[in-house]
Amino acid sequence: MAMVTRRRVLQAAAVAAGGLTLPLVRTAGVAGLAPTVVPKGKMTLAWHTNIASRWLDPQQHDGTATPDNFLFANQDALIKNFRDKRYDHLALADKFEFAEDAKSATFQLRAGVKFHDASPITPEDVKWSYEHYRGASATLLQEKTQAIDIVSDGTVKFSFKEPFLEFPILMGTANVCGAGWVVPAKYYQKVGKDGFVQKPIGAGPYKLVAQDTGNKIEYEAFEGYYRPVHVKNFTIVSVPEAATRVAMVERGEADIAYGIPGELIERIKGNAKLMLAPVLSGSWWLEFPGFNDPKNPFNDKRVREAVSLTVDRKAINDAESGGMGRVSGNWINDDVEYVIDWPKWETNIPKAKELMKQAGFPDGFKVDWLTVVPNFFSRGERVISQLKAIGIQTRLQTMERGVYLKRMETGLKEWPGVQIIMNATRMGGSWSNWYEGMFKCGGFQSKDMICVKALDDKFAKYATSFDRAERNKLAEEIQKEILEQYYFVPVFRHAFLNVIGPRLKAAKWEDVFPTHLTSGYAYPWEDLQLKDTA
Amino acid sequence: MARFIIRRTLYALVTLLILSLTIFMVIRLTGDPVTLLAEPGAHAEDLDRIRAEWGLDRSWPVQYLTFAKNVFTGDLGKSFNYDMPVSTLYFQRLPNSLELALAATLISFLIGIPAGLISAVKVNSVWDNTGKVIALFGLAVPGFWLGLVMILVFSVWLGWLPTSGQGSWQHLIMPAVALGWYFAASLLRLTRSSMLEVLRSEYIKLARLKGLPGYVVIAVHAFKNALIPVLTLAGVNLVVMINAAVIIEVIFAWPGIGRLLYEGIFQRDFPLVQGVVMEAGIMIVVINLTIDILYAYIDPRIRLTR
Repeated sequence: MAMVTRRRVLQAAAVAAGGLTLPLVRTAGVAGLAPTVVPKGKMTLAWHTNIASRWLDPQQHDGTATPDNFLFANQDALIKNFRDKRYDHLALADKFEFAEDAKSATFQLRAGVKFHDASPITPEDVKWSYEHYRGASATLLQEKTQAIDIVSDGTVKFSFKEPFLEFPILMGTANVCGAGWVVPAKYYQKVGKDGFVQKPIGAGPYKLVAQDTGNKIEYEAFEGYYRPVHVKNFTIVSVPEAATRVAMVERGEADIAYGIPGELIERIKGNAKLMLAPVLSGSWWLEFPGFNDPKNPFNDKRVREAVSLTVDRKAINDAESGGMGRVSGNWINDDVEYVIDWPKWETNIPKAKELMKQAGFPDGFKVDWLTVVPNFFSRGERVISQLKAIGIQTRLQTMERGVYLKRMETGLKEWPGVQIIMNATRMGGSWSNWYEGMFKCGGFQSKDMICVKALDDKFAKYATSFDRAERNKLAEEIQKEILEQYYFVPVFRHAFLNVIGPRLKAAKWEDVFPTHLTSGYAYPWEDLQLKDTA
Repeated sequence: MARFIIRRTLYALVTLLILSLTIFMVIRLTGDPVTLLAEPGAHAEDLDRIRAEWGLDRSWPVQYLTFAKNVFTGDLGKSFNYDMPVSTLYFQRLPNSLELALAATLISFLIGIPAGLISAVKVNSVWDNTGKVIALFGLAVPGFWLGLVMILVFSVWLGWLPTSGQGSWQHLIMPAVALGWYFAASLLRLTRSSMLEVLRSEYIKLARLKGLPGYVVIAVHAFKNALIPVLTLAGVNLVVMINAAVIIEVIFAWPGIGRLLYEGIFQRDFPLVQGVVMEAGIMIVVINLTIDILYAYIDPRIRLTR
């Protein structure tokens, strides 16, 4: 029998919402925390893309961070990522126990919590939501779950067929999976999924008032929420053009605007009323598809190392993120489980040239294409320009995002010859999501392009191990090997830039983006406050 | 006449068939929408589940036949992103696009027709040269640039108008000007050339020889006839403005059909793109068919020669 982990995630009720209560708030001691704050005023978020209806339904969670913005307003989960908590903040549950053998998990619902239609949140809603969840990781959850039992009036127990170490992370990381979010079962069944996305009812701090599909959503503070909600009306409006979003904040039509491109940074910095919020987001790295082929110049570790020594990461960060990104050592974000720290990489052109010489390329060589994740073409140009210093000549290949994804999914036959890809991602949860999707042979974006058998074997061992110490060791070994062998050459973590308007109460940008550790966005919405003058 | 109508209707149906085939294939050549609907690193089973849910696991011919059959019954399918019937989405946005297009048409009329008229009447004068510069500027300046400059000047610096969105009449001004500006320039050019052609015709010379006052010759005899091609163009422009004001609607966050199309393309929402293009195509084909039939009805030579 496999050795079981000592994993226990046991949270005390004291850590719940009340622990984050703001100075102005008083709490009553009945039925959890009944807030006495009176919501007032209105705030508007200028959203940077269209608004897809499916984002309003946790049952259809697509596994990205984007839907969180809507879910954190309108819906609530048993546990969730919240401020500095990565996945285990107690929300609708006021107690959560994960068995030592990782074969069961028990949630106790907070007393007196209700949906926006005043119906109580019951264990049956929890059970139904989980059983009918069909979003990201649904297959995995269904395969692993043996039974869901309603133990008592407010307690639900999940039992698993085998130790399921990922369960708390999947249940609680809103930008990975939506299975932990509780929808009103009877209402959902009555209106169906299409009806639900048009008029979603949830248990979140804001109830939906009106929706102009794809364009605008208007919310109003939910008085029955168990945490204080400060702003009465909250509107999310889709504004695809970045310059228009900034103009909205400048004029006071919006209070937060997401997704500001680098060329607008100076305009924001030049306006004393505005505050820039540079949230660290995805990691960027260089990879060499087909490097396993002995004829490929990147087959030689010294060449890959030379590339790493040539890349001026600081210059790229300065140019691409106004210096507000981070030059870090690992290609995996440091906000996921089992990730290892790695020192910053040096830039040393003479050493790089020497390595190229030793590898038999004193004058460099020609790379067919350097392809960068669309539409971040300028950062690809910068790498191309820097690689010229060691004689690597290449051209930038631009393509539409869908085409890029399709080619990445297809694998090596789409990347013939000698190629460099400047890839990037942001995934929550565990380092293993990164490895599995981006490095492993057959992975979502690695397919047959990387394929290091020794590491994949180690990863297979990791995936089947229930021993936390062993997992930790394997995760460390695999990550170390990738970096030491320069299979991937990390470049930087870019900053997802946002702007905050003068009406919001904020001494620093983190006050408006307190969950920045796990997400690039501004929730928890209920905590945002307007200045008294607003 | 009946044979003419049947023939033209068949042409229209063939046009729509070709359009449906083209848009069906072109949108699929852009790649797999499931990669945009799923999370990065999604398991193959999750991708397969999404494909099956949206019928993308079936062969192209089967998908096309389903699409064609549904279009024939008025069902344009359901949007991947909005979980709503495409026709519902289209008709939700149509009034917004109509509002913008009508306002832009009005602006293009107010600028283009008087300026074109003056240019033609005062040909080769300062007025004419000014008109030509306006036309050149209108055709050359991209709408997105004009839109962004207007936002900066009238919203941010002067604070006179809201930056974007929809609601009051103030919200309509900048997008309507930015959209109508290009069409004003094209109307100006057409009005000028059409007026010049009419002013050179024999019946105008006769009217002048008869001693009619200049303004009567221009307003009553010349302008009315010169207006026919202008109005035809304005009609086509209106349809284009309703269905394809993509850039302006994006810049000003105007919730119209153009933006819907943009969102559909961006998210590779096959049913949405197919539906919007088919709706626009049907609109244009029906308008052209109606005009053809009306022309044939008014002028028998058309139905006899075609």
